[in-house]
Amino acid sequence: MSMEIVVCVKQVPASTRVKLNATTNTIIREGIEMMLNPFDAYALEEALRVKAGAGGRVTVISMGIPSAAELLRYALALGADRAVLLSDKRFAGADTLATAYSLAAAVRKLGACDLILCGRQAVDGDTAQVGPSLAQKLGIPHLTAVSRLELSSQRRVLCEKMTDEGYQEIELGLPALLTVVKEINTPRFPNLEDYLRTLDAAVEIWSADDLEVDHARIGYDGSATWVMSTTATERRKNGKEILGPPQEAAELILGTLRQMGWQPASEGRRE
Amino acid sequence: MRLNVVTTPEDIQPYLRDESSWTGAAESVSFPQSEDEIREALRVYSQKGAPITIQGARTGITGAAVPVGGHVINLSRFSRALGMRWDDADNRFLLTVQPGMLFSQVQKGLADKEFNTQGWSRESLSAYRRFCAEGRWSFAADITETSASIGGMVSTNASGAKSYLYGPMRAHVVGLRLLLADGRAVTLRRGEQFAQGGFFRLRLEDGTAVEGRLPSYRMPAVKNASGYYIKPDMDLLDLFIGSEGTLAVVTEITLALSPTPARSIGLLAFFGDMPGALKYVQALKRLQGTQKPAAIEYFDRACLDMIRGEQLEARSHKDLPLLPSAEAVYVEFHQPTQADADTRLRQVRLLLQENGGKPAETWLAATPQDLEKLIGFRHAVPESINHIIAERKRGTPMLTKLGTDMAVPDDKLAWVLNLYAESLGTLGLEGLKFGHIGDNHLHVNILPATAEDYRRGKALIQEWARQVIAAGGTVSAEHGIGKLKTAQLLDMYGREAVKEMRALKRCFDPLGLLNPGNMFVSEESG
Repeated sequence: MSMEIVVCVKQVPASTRVKLNATTNTIIREGIEMMLNPFDAYALEEALRVKAGAGGRVTVISMGIPSAAELLRYALALGADRAVLLSDKRFAGADTLATAYSLAAAVRKLGACDLILCGRQAVDGDTAQVGPSLAQKLGIPHLTAVSRLELSSQRRVLCEKMTDEGYQEIELGLPALLTVVKEINTPRFPNLEDYLRTLDAAVEIWSADDLEVDHARIGYDGSATWVMSTTATERRKNGKEILGPPQEAAELILGTLRQMGWQPASEGRRE
Repeated sequence: MRLNVVTTPEDIQPYLRDESSWTGAAESVSFPQSEDEIREALRVYSQKGAPITIQGARTGITGAAVPVGGHVINLSRFSRALGMRWDDADNRFLLTVQPGMLFSQVQKGLADKEFNTQGWSRESLSAYRRFCAEGRWSFAADITETSASIGGMVSTNASGAKSYLYGPMRAHVVGLRLLLADGRAVTLRRGEQFAQGGFFRLRLEDGTAVEGRLPSYRMPAVKNASGYYIKPDMDLLDLFIGSEGTLAVVTEITLALSPTPARSIGLLAFFGDMPGALKYVQALKRLQGTQKPAAIEYFDRACLDMIRGEQLEARSHKDLPLLPSAEAVYVEFHQPTQADADTRLRQVRLLLQENGGKPAETWLAATPQDLEKLIGFRHAVPESINHIIAERKRGTPMLTKLGTDMAVPDDKLAWVLNLYAESLGTLGLEGLKFGHIGDNHLHVNILPATAEDYRRGKALIQEWARQVIAAGGTVSAEHGIGKLKTAQLLDMYGREAVKEMRALKRCFDPLGLLNPGNMFVSEESG
């Protein structure tokens, strides 16, 4: 059963120290170290495993700035067959709604597709909304937080979905979209041979003009939500930093806690 | 002046050991936060004539920081960054720190561009502003145990995987401030004071001097951390780097920083047998100049089988794909541009093809995140070994890990690898070989299962030391001698040389108070 698989990936800042555009409160992406969104690495790995088992093709798509092409080339080195970058100033500033709308147009343009894999969430936005939103726009079923998937023969996929209490076993008919969690696999390293082979591989760049989209629904203008402010968690300034040898520091902390009325569990219990 | 001192057994307890198997004894421990306090502690405790042991972070594995009675001066609270300077001559920043500052703290401060600059001079603050504004800078000395102190790194001339390209600690220290046992001091910069024909005269800041004869031995031409660094016309700064605390207390260290490489790439290649891996290693070692790798590391099949076994039991290493059962060679390159990095990769593909390697099965780490995973693997090997020993200790408490730290000249690399493999096989002992093969420096860890294994393992290591010394190698390439390897140092250089080392120490520390027992026993016995 040959499968057409699409993987959505995102380039995110590599560190937690981010600079924000003062006007739009969106992340300034130029000039800082970027990386593949960690969850997306698992989605890509799973796509490659499905292809290895069932045969087919893996297409990787991303919406981002031009330097994101490097990321897509890395995906090709890992074994993806085709890479498409949606890059256009008109896509910039998109919230999850506008992003999903743009990605949906790209997926439709790619043609028939059996399975779409996404990482559960992007570590810069943390909304986990794009995957489900994309599925809705494409009119296909979706499942989030998938920690295991298995294709069954009747164009269905059997999944384990992680929940707080454990996991659920859910079967979906294809085509479907799944967002995955890190428990699903261990991503491979690219090998030297494939990396060198794909050094000059083409990453297709699509602009807004290459898609059938209503320009009022893409980018900043197409967003229904706006970031009002973003604050990094501040270092609590009221704390007291205790330096020095561990033994002494531990005793100081114990003493301070006792002064505050704390008692260890082993004390103060009258049974 | 009130010193911060502890004297009760419970308070002293933690400071009687380092990461070796050795436990010592002491009567008191002080935690100075200023040079004046150190000087005062030296004054007070030298009057008692008892030994004074200087400690950094106690991560050493040769017992150098383990006290042998008397007083301990623990520098863990003497740990600030003191200032920065731009060095016009060499186009780099210089960072001055106190010895208690940890290597990891220096790395983090540089990566985050964040130091506590309280009390810094105007010149330092100006250099700091420039540092924050332009470029990325690192401290290129590389060590595996990043929780070590900078002072400790100076004491042992510490090194790690990337010392293959960047050199050991010595290559990155441009200045030291030194406090002698009698309280006299000097701030010494590289290039200021030299020995002449084996005779030295170190001018101190009060106008007096320490003078004497340098030992006359010649150091082997290998990566070496055994005994004093000696050359007849040497820069006197180098006398103190690697001196394991026997000559003076280091109170300030000035480090040279280097620009962070633009592109770092790592490759883990797998081979069916050791000769195959060695051929590839020899080919990599021929890359010089701008093509020279930052590191070349080796892990034998036993190492990979150990980690692979843990992966299959699903205990750990979940971020690493399943390792094959094979010999492994890791090579890392630091290159100025992506194009240069790609050229190195093409070269390596060729070297693999020519030397029995398989480019299609060679793992490539081209992103910082993937490089981190491979660092994780490399550090996992010694950690897993410690875990196995800990388990075996429960059944047989006297068991400890038996590890070696020997290096040999280039033309003896194949010979020593065969020596290790064959002798372990003949004796039926379980051993793992891994390490800095680029410097012909491999750690062999023998894992004894019984007391008899332990006894035979110890004897085997002594036999190896004998042969390695005869082949022009060293008994300690990076860990230092400390208190555990004094017999090996004696074997390596001989009685006369060690006598000369004692005489050198007497020039600086006539009463023999500082870290006695490190490198050599205080007095010759018999």
